[in-house]
Amino acid sequence: MTKTEVNEMSKIQLGDYIVIQRQKYTKLQKFGNLDTTSMLGKEQLELRGLLDQPYSATFKMCPKETTPSKQRGQRNLRLHTLELCNELEMRDIRDRLGISASGADNRDIIDDGDSQALRPQDIEDLREQHSESTKIIEKIVENSKTFHAKTEYSQEKYLRKKEKKYFEFVQIHRPTLRLITEIYYRQDADKVMGMRMDTLSQLISYSGVSAFGNYLMYESGTNGLLPASFLNSMGAGTEATLVHMHPGNVPQKQAMLALNLPHEQLQRCISVNLYSVLREYYQGEGQESTEVATEPSTPLEEIEPSSKKQKLNDDDAAPTTTSSTSSDSNGENNTSPLESSVNIPVQAQKWQVENRRACELMRAKFDGLVIAAKEHPSNIVQALLPFVKSSRPIVVYSQSKEVLMDLHVELKSSSNATNLHLTSNWLRYYQILPNRTHPEVNMNGNSGYLLTGYTIG
Amino acid sequence: MSFLKPKEVIEEGDTVTLYLTVNSMHAIEATPTIVNKKGETIEYIFQTSYGALKVRNLIGVTYGSRVELSKGWAYVLQPNPELWTQTLPHRTQIIYTPDISMILFQLEVRPGSVIVESGTGSGSLSHYFLRAIKPYGHLHTFDFHEARVQQAREEFERHGLGDFVTVYHRDVCQLGFSNELEGKADAVFLDLPAPQLAVPFAAKTLKTEGGRFCSFSPCIEQSQRCCIALQEHGFTEIRSMEILQQEHVVKTRTLPVLDLEFLKHKKPSSQKLNESSTNESNETADTVKTPKETKKVLTSSAPPTLPGHTGYLTFATLPPAFVR
Repeated sequence: MTKTEVNEMSKIQLGDYIVIQRQKYTKLQKFGNLDTTSMLGKEQLELRGLLDQPYSATFKMCPKETTPSKQRGQRNLRLHTLELCNELEMRDIRDRLGISASGADNRDIIDDGDSQALRPQDIEDLREQHSESTKIIEKIVENSKTFHAKTEYSQEKYLRKKEKKYFEFVQIHRPTLRLITEIYYRQDADKVMGMRMDTLSQLISYSGVSAFGNYLMYESGTNGLLPASFLNSMGAGTEATLVHMHPGNVPQKQAMLALNLPHEQLQRCISVNLYSVLREYYQGEGQESTEVATEPSTPLEEIEPSSKKQKLNDDDAAPTTTSSTSSDSNGENNTSPLESSVNIPVQAQKWQVENRRACELMRAKFDGLVIAAKEHPSNIVQALLPFVKSSRPIVVYSQSKEVLMDLHVELKSSSNATNLHLTSNWLRYYQILPNRTHPEVNMNGNSGYLLTGYTIG
Repeated sequence: MSFLKPKEVIEEGDTVTLYLTVNSMHAIEATPTIVNKKGETIEYIFQTSYGALKVRNLIGVTYGSRVELSKGWAYVLQPNPELWTQTLPHRTQIIYTPDISMILFQLEVRPGSVIVESGTGSGSLSHYFLRAIKPYGHLHTFDFHEARVQQAREEFERHGLGDFVTVYHRDVCQLGFSNELEGKADAVFLDLPAPQLAVPFAAKTLKTEGGRFCSFSPCIEQSQRCCIALQEHGFTEIRSMEILQQEHVVKTRTLPVLDLEFLKHKKPSSQKLNESSTNESNETADTVKTPKETKKVLTSSAPPTLPGHTGYLTFATLPPAFVR
């Protein structure tokens, strides 16, 4: 890669997925066109100003005008433009405000709900007048009767809380698997089948996915996170391929697209419908043609891709019904639903091409099998195990242990696999500060479960 | 050579995982002969708890096959970093799969990444790094123990990984990661007693586009010192965490079921007789005769001992040079 290419790549471009970070909050957003806006709490951001700016830069949210709310009962949205922030004025807020006095303990502090002299309306007005959080917080502190009696630690906590509310800087990052995983899990863990970062990281390890080999995956709804993590490990310009089986008409791909991968790399993820590809493998081509759209009528379909996608990103709402091609990345194959239902027999449809590619790989067999199913995995494992070579890893993920216990017993008695382990994880974050180190107060107890093993025979 | 990519048949010189049971595995090299203590070349016979294995017979066998031992059998598996971590010769304390997986995930390692690691130790983590960065990336791994460096070098070579790794004998806390590596790394990993001493060098060796950092420490005081150093050297997103993997042992248990309902009512037959003295003896005779009811239940339980602590992982980002 040449130097200029690298520089181009580190600039924010139209069509990129970006991660917007405001303090600890992060959000995935597609920067589809110059008029794209993004909601951050009650703030609405115009993304226009990001074009051609470098990734990792910090931008200041500059209030534009208050748009009067169109719907009754809704609070006003604050519209902001983004301006590149050159001088780093994000010093410690305590220094900026020049706070020196603090109390020794909290013996004199009484919570009478009367310590703040400003009324909520006054603070709203302040926000209208000033864009800088420092000014607002300064006024709030000035009008607090108890602030200077608080201990230093408690002052800091107070300031952090206020800063979180009025912080006017955002940072833009290039999406990585790590950032996407974190955002998905925080926003709605159910949409990624509760796949927590630690469990996902181990699933990647145990599956053995790398730049060499062909991998088989069945996944029923992780917003594309699981195939994305495989593509990420397979790398650009390598020989590895992934056959990604899914139960619906259209694979969920958002996470894959969000990684902004080269076309060549995305091409090596072959997404096929589980029923359609197995039928083709056993019965030959042409057995399905028209059926495929209606066939997999599992209850899962109701909660399938397109509606979810829209929620996170409106610009990406193209893929909907009929054709399995429409969700493709660069829109190069944008057959409208109407056209594809006409079914021009001359040219093979994308799903047919993908089915063929998948069947070819199935005949040659795979170097690893990964299953993350909302359905009971027994039959899926049974159906897919014959396509896996000997001495290769199998990893099955489930949100509940009992499901994998069943599978454990079945695999053990079938003698198709050995070295079976059922595991879950415990993950704890720490606050590490001088004299104030302790585990974080809240922890998440749902890691999900992994059943791992190796094929034999 | 069996670590480069997935393969099907055991060739001479391959490292092979001999799988006996969940708790018993060995890594053996598939060579027909070995040199014994007296310097003589002899037939390589490997002893296991299920008897002897003539290693010569492994060559040409398909990975995943069952092989006969003199007192039983075993499976031969192609080694990978997970199996290697469980069978490797320990030269130091090693890091295991749960922590390693998080390290790779958080360091955003992928094919093409340039990774700097210190210390090399027994090479447990190095094998994971190498799997993840092949075929375009490179691992620069440092250790201050000369013999360990040499052993690691030979091991990587034997495993077919030599092209992707450079092993340095160097004390990075004092000397850093060398000028040649300045601005070259995508990620730096430290497993050192005093990580804070290597943090300034880590900042130097990361690319101008920025990169990720990780330090693994068994003691919280080490993490504390490391966090302070990270802040001083412009790192952001500093987060510390601890991961423990729990194993669930799956077992089908057969439990006896007690019938206690019948105790509430007098037996109709004994009521007829209306003789209280014979009642009791009849009842006991009945319960002895009927076969005991049992229920099969699928259970899972924790193993008697499990890891309670491995280490604290501290991760951080070094932002690109223009925002440091």
